[in-house]
Amino acid sequence: MAELPIWQYDTLFLITVVLFGVTALTMQNLMSAAIVFGAYSFLMCLIWTAMGAVDVAFTEAAVGAGVSTVFIVATIYNTGASAKPRKPRVGFKLFAGAVAVATGAFLLSALPDFPAWGDPQSPVNSTVAPYYIENTIRDAHVPNIVTTVLADYRGFDTLLETAVVFIACIAIYSILRVDSAKSTVDEPDIIAAPPAYDPTDSLIIRQASRIMVPFMQIFALYVIAHGHYSPGGGFQGGVILGASVILLCISFDLKFVLRQWTEKKIMLLTALGVLIYAAVGVACMFMGGDYLNYNALDPVLPGDMAYARYYGILLVEIGVGVTVMFSMIGIYIILASNGRFKRGL
Amino acid sequence: MEEIVPKFNYIVVVILMMTGLWSMLAQSNLIKKCIGMAIFQTGIILFFISIGAKNNASIPIVAKEPLGQVLGQAHAPEGSQPPAKPELAAAKAKVYPDPPDVNKLTNPLTQILMLTAIVVGVATLGVGLALAQKVYQQHNSFDEDEILENQTK
Repeated sequence: MAELPIWQYDTLFLITVVLFGVTALTMQNLMSAAIVFGAYSFLMCLIWTAMGAVDVAFTEAAVGAGVSTVFIVATIYNTGASAKPRKPRVGFKLFAGAVAVATGAFLLSALPDFPAWGDPQSPVNSTVAPYYIENTIRDAHVPNIVTTVLADYRGFDTLLETAVVFIACIAIYSILRVDSAKSTVDEPDIIAAPPAYDPTDSLIIRQASRIMVPFMQIFALYVIAHGHYSPGGGFQGGVILGASVILLCISFDLKFVLRQWTEKKIMLLTALGVLIYAAVGVACMFMGGDYLNYNALDPVLPGDMAYARYYGILLVEIGVGVTVMFSMIGIYIILASNGRFKRGL
Repeated sequence: MEEIVPKFNYIVVVILMMTGLWSMLAQSNLIKKCIGMAIFQTGIILFFISIGAKNNASIPIVAKEPLGQVLGQAHAPEGSQPPAKPELAAAKAKVYPDPPDVNKLTNPLTQILMLTAIVVGVATLGVGLALAQKVYQQHNSFDEDEILENQTK
């Protein structure tokens, strides 16, 4: 055995990640489960850094470990935290376990056919991917290949992914939203388990987040603008911008944020991001090119042909950032306020 | 062992997917089902990222060569007459090796597919949580058995 194609730290992380996942699912208290799930996501982000997927790791750190944990906590805050089942359901659990193990065995039976972990000559690494690695610099002058593939080569895909985020935001609004002006029922006392202390009372938390928020936002703008050269881009920067406002919601009060960002404004701005993205595509068509072919924008943008792609990528990344930022804020507020846009976590 | 060690990543993928599937089927709590769904999803993302990883490869960002070196190379052999000031854009394009060594950079394609999948994943998780919260408003419980009892009453 000359050289094992394996990364010891990765193996260690992978084992830990399985332990965290199982722990998150077996905990009786939902709040603890949410926090353990956040830790699970954070470990995942370490694994992806170790595997060289820095953009994915960045997204996971912002989305998986940050915002989705906050979403789960906001839901639990409005409902109940105990996950103690009424009936034990041992028989059914064993049956489901058997189904899951059978599925796993079925998947593992294909194991000998897979290429070894980290093989540069495997089919997925040697067929279409080298084209992107070799041509990115010449086509768009963007060193970060992931950004180029995301916003340029596969621009349609990203446009529709952004639309999916927007549609999910609309879906959550239509499921949970209560028009408090028309609602005749007085708001019930929905908070099942009020916290032992009111976090909005803490001077330290309020002052600390007051100092942190501007730096978070500047960093997020840097991530969007510098995504061409370093890990980052519209998705990551948008989530960080959204997280900075969510931090304000948590540390101050929902009302404090809602004074600036009304429900209507948030929804319009969520749509605006998709509109910016789609409008760049339409502008390309008006300039005589194909939809989202940024080369057509060459006459109005500085630099040569490849720089037109460079700036086109920047424009659509801004659109993605706006949509992701406001959909994250909107989803958080509606989950935390139980659909009433008044008070909450 | 010869079979397991180089393919350990696939085994972890299958274990994570099994855990998530089991949770979605067996857990009676709706939030636990949502967490199970997210774990199932990370299993799939891990599959894509690990098949795109390469041994001894760097992150998929093309490394820069020093700008001065590139400009120096452009007019060092001539010596006698310094050429006209090179255009900045042309120099910038030359700063990066063309083409980069494919085996030295990890596969960017699987990464971008998963990057968008994560963001869409959090949006779908939000939809799931919103549905769970709506169910809680109606039935005052996250427990599947209790909800079913309430419905049949």
